[in-house]
Amino acid sequence: MRTLLGFIRKEFLQTLRDPRMRLLLFLAPCVQLSIFGLALSTEARNIRLSVVGSPSDSMLQTIYRECLASGWFISAKVSTNDPFEQVQKDEADAVMVAPPGGLDKALGRNEGQLQLLVNAINVTRGQSIERYFMLVTQSQVSTHSPISLDLRVLYNPALRSEFFLIPGVMSMLVCLITILLTSMSITKEKEVGTFETLISAPILPEEVLLGKTIPYVLLGMSNIPLIMGVAIFIFDLPLRGSIAWFFISSLVFVMCTVGIGTMISTLARNQQQAMMGGFIFLFPAMLLSGLVFPIENMPWGLRVFSYLNPLTYFIEILRNITLKGGDMRLLLFDTLILLAMAVIAIFISWRRFKTTL
Amino acid sequence: MIDSSILAIAKKEVYHIVRDPFTLALALGMPVVMVLFFGLAIEFNLDRIPIAIFDGNKSPDSRTLIRTFVSSDYFKPTYVLSPSQGVQMLDEGSVNAALVIPPTYARDLTFFGQSSVQVLVDGTDNSSAGSILGYLSGLQLSAVQNQFEAHNLKHPIHVVTRFLYNPELNSRWFVVPGLTAVVIAVLSILLTSLTVAREWENGSMELLLGTPIKPIEIILGKLMPYWVMGLLAIVFVFMMSQVVFGVPFKGSFLIYLLSCLVFLLTYLAQGLLISVLTRKQQLSMQFAMLTGLLPTLLLSGFIFPVEHMPDFFYYLTMVLPARWFILISRRIFLQGANFFDVLPSFLVMCLILAVMITLATRKFKKDVEP
Repeated sequence: MRTLLGFIRKEFLQTLRDPRMRLLLFLAPCVQLSIFGLALSTEARNIRLSVVGSPSDSMLQTIYRECLASGWFISAKVSTNDPFEQVQKDEADAVMVAPPGGLDKALGRNEGQLQLLVNAINVTRGQSIERYFMLVTQSQVSTHSPISLDLRVLYNPALRSEFFLIPGVMSMLVCLITILLTSMSITKEKEVGTFETLISAPILPEEVLLGKTIPYVLLGMSNIPLIMGVAIFIFDLPLRGSIAWFFISSLVFVMCTVGIGTMISTLARNQQQAMMGGFIFLFPAMLLSGLVFPIENMPWGLRVFSYLNPLTYFIEILRNITLKGGDMRLLLFDTLILLAMAVIAIFISWRRFKTTL
Repeated sequence: MIDSSILAIAKKEVYHIVRDPFTLALALGMPVVMVLFFGLAIEFNLDRIPIAIFDGNKSPDSRTLIRTFVSSDYFKPTYVLSPSQGVQMLDEGSVNAALVIPPTYARDLTFFGQSSVQVLVDGTDNSSAGSILGYLSGLQLSAVQNQFEAHNLKHPIHVVTRFLYNPELNSRWFVVPGLTAVVIAVLSILLTSLTVAREWENGSMELLLGTPIKPIEIILGKLMPYWVMGLLAIVFVFMMSQVVFGVPFKGSFLIYLLSCLVFLLTYLAQGLLISVLTRKQQLSMQFAMLTGLLPTLLLSGFIFPVEHMPDFFYYLTMVLPARWFILISRRIFLQGANFFDVLPSFLVMCLILAVMITLATRKFKKDVEP
């Protein structure tokens, strides 16, 4: 036990000795969460809209004015009257084109067809441009409909994109830090040559393994309240579920990522390999976690990887616990899966560790 | 132009790479696997959204309404026995929306000519909630049409949207040109950020500096093999985009290649700068991840359009070479942009490259001179 404590102290000292490392560990996640939370938005702004048609066409001009007044659109500065050329030259994101003879006359014939040209090289932006334009034109001509939809948006009524993204970014940052820290921990000793010293020292291999994981679990956990604090105080992310569950599932998740990092570390022969291994895990883990891209849309073969990905479960837990108040069945199920993954990863590292000894 | 000492350093670096076949295989294979992987994984267009439907009315009229919802292929229905079961499913996240038809639906419609149904939408994912909301307004109209079989009931202003350059809003066309940039960027940063740091850590840097080779030559020599490797990866990825994903390529190859070369150099220089600054492998890797991977993935416009960001961040993204390269790449692939169209972005990339190289050599020189 004393040797273990000594070992843990050594790991702490070694990791926190470098002031740059301390900054990277504690300050960087908070700064990043703030940057990504503030910067990332799925709401379109500054859509440059231009209009091709007669200035005396009152309906056309009304819609154009309404669009500008909505705050989503701004007027585009164009040098030509050809709508296609305006888009090609990247002077406008969208162009309204009136039907021949003008929209007023067309409406009189009861066939008011208005064409909207959208630059779709960016699909997400293209989609939101169409959506906002539809909203503006629909509110212009609100018809009284016999069947009305009583719409209620639950959990995030203002549809704030940061509420969706921040739990994901939080999990990603915790995952990133713990994997980066641990994937090199044992490899470094191997490369520097201190590993031999460790082996010849009177310490059990299990103690070395514990000494190599416990400090990083603690470091990873120390990040959780920090990041959550930023999320709550800067972005007023609600925490509707139980705080205890939040910490329990975080602990299990950190154990899982530390386990995976240690596993990579025991498998790699040098630091560059360890880094590559960490990267091969992190990159797909981020993209296949439902952080941005919905898992339901993926083809079957890839969805399997999403379900093998610990990040998927932790993001689901965090979104559920913060926005929805935590559905007990889901929390329990996901936490158990994370626990199983942690046990498997630590078991593999233990086996691998023994054989190298 | 390239003198022999640069080549010698380059040769030494090649030995380093070749000796470690694991790294080599990764550097060449990973980009291809990833483009294939993520080209298939990323799909923005939602369809078959799971919806819980509670029919409290069970009349021909309510069935007509349900048919309108279901026949569109936009929703995948699950029928529930009570409204609270629908809410429970929303809580669990097993459905994204719930339709609740009240028992009085048909009666209200017949007697008052006006009826209302409740639709609950899960707002957790704001963008899919937004697209569900947009879709529902269209559905409302067809529900009325189906109910009254009145086809003359038309939205007075019919908007016909034409999506230029990507008429079917194919996600792959959008993602693959950007993903090329992301994979290359990340790979080159990771590989190079370790090279100088490794020499410092092993102590072999002193040896290199003891030789009569100038610092700038050491840097150029170290960059060259990675540049060739990155170039190979670019060619691979480009072929994948054409053969596997069928992304149209409307612009000129020459301009695209030129931008690729400059972009690659920028990221190699960034990796080098990191390793010169940190001198430690672990730290330089952390920096490479934090300044390379995350911003390139999230702030470059690869997924989240930079135009949507608040002004401060919109201008901040301008220091990221990937932001410019992704813009150039998309415009060349889909829009067939000519040289003058992409010239401003290209020049900015060159400027960033110049700054990076200057910083790296300066810092390197300062370390060397006593």
